[in-house]
Amino acid sequence: MDVFSPKERLLRTLNKQKVERPPVICPGGMMNSAIVDIMNKTGHTLPEGHKTPELMTALATDVMENTGFENFGVPFCMTVEAEVLGSEVNFGSLECEPKIQKEKYPSVDKVDFLPPGMMSKAPRVGTVVDTLYRLSRSNPDIPAIGSLTGPMSTAASLVDPMPFLKQLRRDKENSHKVLDYVSGHLIEYARLIAENGASVISIADPTATGEILGPKMFEEYAVTYINKVVDAIHELGLPVIVHICGKMESVKPQIAMLHGDAISVDAFVSLKGIKREIPDATTMGNLSTILLQFGNPEKVEKTAELLVNDKIDIIAPACGLSTSTPLANIQAFTGTVKGR
Amino acid sequence: MTKDEMYQKLADAVVDMDEDLVRELSEQAVAEGIDAFEAIDAGLSAGMERAGKLFEEEEYFVPELLMCADAMNAGVEILKPHIQSAQTGQKHKIVIGVIEGDTHDIGKNLVKLMLETSGFEVIDLGRDVPARNFVEEAVAQGAEMIMVSSLMTTTMDAMADVVTELDARGLRGKIKYAVGGGPVSQGFADKIGADGYSKNAADAVRLCQRLLK
Repeated sequence: MDVFSPKERLLRTLNKQKVERPPVICPGGMMNSAIVDIMNKTGHTLPEGHKTPELMTALATDVMENTGFENFGVPFCMTVEAEVLGSEVNFGSLECEPKIQKEKYPSVDKVDFLPPGMMSKAPRVGTVVDTLYRLSRSNPDIPAIGSLTGPMSTAASLVDPMPFLKQLRRDKENSHKVLDYVSGHLIEYARLIAENGASVISIADPTATGEILGPKMFEEYAVTYINKVVDAIHELGLPVIVHICGKMESVKPQIAMLHGDAISVDAFVSLKGIKREIPDATTMGNLSTILLQFGNPEKVEKTAELLVNDKIDIIAPACGLSTSTPLANIQAFTGTVKGR
Repeated sequence: MTKDEMYQKLADAVVDMDEDLVRELSEQAVAEGIDAFEAIDAGLSAGMERAGKLFEEEEYFVPELLMCADAMNAGVEILKPHIQSAQTGQKHKIVIGVIEGDTHDIGKNLVKLMLETSGFEVIDLGRDVPARNFVEEAVAQGAEMIMVSSLMTTTMDAMADVVTELDARGLRGKIKYAVGGGPVSQGFADKIGADGYSKNAADAVRLCQRLLK
């Protein structure tokens, strides 16, 4: 029997308070769960749903109701931030999420520093923020999660990633300037999200992996700027989930340095191992999205049970869901955690 | 300096990401009449192979590997005009790109640069490439192999379409097909009927050497 509302349960978990069972969520953004099965059923579709608060609200509601995830999660992509700061976006299709068509700048020393206030003027930010306002107003018991693209990924969506990655070593001064600049705008976006009723902010930063950066660069850049954004969100009074992609062996000590209230990880990372090594970490994850896409409900249920038995604090998909994931698998996943 | 010492120094400079030193040594090699082809092969390329190994051992990461490649290319630029044409021979051609729907190309770019530094000719179709284009381009260019990467689970389905395209033209097995990228696995490669899978850029070189033997 459920004791807490979904919002209470998630907030208590993020605050390290006891709950009767783990929440099962999917925060949106990189972890978008607006799958084709749902859109075909309800008629609220992408890419249109990226552009108006009415449709974004309707689709986020469809997703919550159909999947059984205990939250709203918007936006449905990772392109909002970089688009506001100048990069070109391709909105994709029903099946295919939006992507950065072309990064605006060839290298970190060429970036134009746009003044503060860009986020509050941007129509796409307005859509997300307005959606969060509507969802949180009409559903006070369901947590509305605003998803941010992390500073490294936003920077690598503004500056061509290959020169960007080299310049992290070769041109530290300008690399830091760009990351600081990007973080400032992300904080402004987070403030708008917080002021409009969101309960939690989730940051996913897929460019900031241990595999890509290695421990030194991960610490110097990813930890520094993710924490800068997280600290600012904490000042706004909201808890933060941080999702780190990829394998983590090379950056375990650095993961412990992150200030987020929960750490969400990829499927091949052992959350049990994380709990062992960082005892006070609130863990989130990590049902394989490959299993969700290609497996069947029975297998999904078994794997979800393992996560519950391992006492993972917040249960969620391990990564971005394929839009062709069968709805039945997601329902099997959420149903298992809820104990049906 | 003996030529072996020169090769060793070139390789070390590549591993050390020292572009300036590579340039200096390459010019010295040219001035001393050291064979340019061998200087690339036994010097720069050998250094890049070591860098690839350090990458696999997680001593080096992507920024380091990219800088090693820059150092190598700086040397190649100086040495290449001095190669006698008879030495170059015919290189294996490989068409590479990121599948449609995906614009993440860090992994693909790493594979490309490791292949190039190992002596393959790579035709890069870029990112967000429809399955059909890979096959059309491979046929048009007379390539022996297609390599496709995806970093998003959302785009993996389209990787199977390349096999369908190859089948439709009766080219299955004639043009080898390999896949890679974050969410891709050997199991997935087997499932869609690809000829190979590699888990990282250094592994990709070994895969191509094996498949194109």
